[in-house]
Amino acid sequence: MLKGKTFSTRGAIITFCLGLSLSSFSQRTSIRGFMDVFASYQDKKTSFGLGEQDLFITSELNDRLTFLGETVFKFSPNSPTQFDVSIERVVIKYNITGNHNLLFGKHHTPINYWNDTYHHGRVYFPTIERPLLFSSQMIPLHTTGFSLQGHDLGAIKFGYDLMFGNGIGSGEVKDNDKYKSLTVAIHIKPADRLRIGASYYHDNISPGATVHGTINKWKVNQSLISGSIAYFGNKVELLTESTLAINTTDTTGSQTSIGTYLYAGIKATEKFIPYIRIDNLHYQEEEVFYHNDNTTSFVGGFRYQINYLAVVKLEYQYQQSAMEGNLNKVTVQFAIGF
Amino acid sequence: MILLQQYSGIKIRKILYIFLFFFVVSTARSQDSTLTVISHRKGAPPEMKMSELISVFLGEKERWSDGTKITIVLMKTTTPVGKETCRKVYARTGNSVLQYWNLQSFAGKTQLPMMFNSTDELEAFVAQNPGAIGIIDKASSIPETKTVMIGGKKYF
Repeated sequence: MLKGKTFSTRGAIITFCLGLSLSSFSQRTSIRGFMDVFASYQDKKTSFGLGEQDLFITSELNDRLTFLGETVFKFSPNSPTQFDVSIERVVIKYNITGNHNLLFGKHHTPINYWNDTYHHGRVYFPTIERPLLFSSQMIPLHTTGFSLQGHDLGAIKFGYDLMFGNGIGSGEVKDNDKYKSLTVAIHIKPADRLRIGASYYHDNISPGATVHGTINKWKVNQSLISGSIAYFGNKVELLTESTLAINTTDTTGSQTSIGTYLYAGIKATEKFIPYIRIDNLHYQEEEVFYHNDNTTSFVGGFRYQINYLAVVKLEYQYQQSAMEGNLNKVTVQFAIGF
Repeated sequence: MILLQQYSGIKIRKILYIFLFFFVVSTARSQDSTLTVISHRKGAPPEMKMSELISVFLGEKERWSDGTKITIVLMKTTTPVGKETCRKVYARTGNSVLQYWNLQSFAGKTQLPMMFNSTDELEAFVAQNPGAIGIIDKASSIPETKTVMIGGKKYF
């Protein structure tokens, strides 16, 4: 009797779940978000601040078509409300076959591991801020266009990205010139949690294009060669990336700049991770495309992971910069995902 | 008095042995807990190697060989089956597994897996969705599902 009752209860649960899954599977949409707050001490002054608020939407439209959108609300001193809305990623992905996909939209250029992995979710960043390679604008963070992407192919888990886009200086709806940017990126994952990658980026930047907040005066032929090693193991975390930038103009010839960073962390416990990060930016003297602010920075701090959606980081940064002088700064950040 | 002390000493020792016995048995039982892989009839092969299973559950494969899209289904990481899945398949803690999946989804690599509180819910979902594969602690009783052998075994 009891057995029969148990069976009928179980049957009812299964029937209910079948109905629920039938009604909810046709389209899976998820809306999530990220944000962070921080406090910093610099020049004998303490400041409190808001980071970005990131709205992240994914939707599975059918078994081949998916959508991803990332919109950021952030402080902007020039806006009447002091905040701006920025579309960071809008990607429509079509699965061609197996692990091969075709992607359209505005992407984070898959030029290195950090740009292809962490995006705007500071809860996932190993350090409080991105490496200087990003803030120096040595690499193009976004590309609007299309790409072919493959992943986890064969025994070494080979992956590739082949991306064509509007290129540097273009808007989101129109290219400013006839040239297209090209990104070719490859990576392998020869062991669990280890990824080794390399990429090549090429673009021609036209005179008159607004780049890095200023109007570009020369036609610049740009090639970026990047390499990265990422290992996030149970005990040790290591991420190092370098970009070699070769900018060629008719008047200055080829000028070479190098941006590098090394991050290393030790998982003292599952939640407590002390870390360091060393950044270096070096520009050749006659470089005309970048700001040529030779900089070295040291960051030391720790990360306390309350759980996978809440992280506190405390960090000290010492930075030597040719143009902006020295910087000593202590920052604490509380980043969450929801 | 001495005899009484000796008698109580022996009794206490006996009680301790009995407790020790039950402790060892219960520990052995908890370590013995086994997992089994179930899938929808369409999609997953009848047998896989452990390394293939891990690869599938890391989201490294988008489609089965017949072209059906893979949908990963897990027990919540706070449930006993979920905890065991994290340990045996992911070699990570529950928190690390959730972090892994959130980062994969955030990078646009894959969709988050479906997660359930009960094995009945999980089985029902797998039964309704071609290509779905999940891990539970007992053989499935629903006709639309099948058990996937791992390294030639029903349980691992």
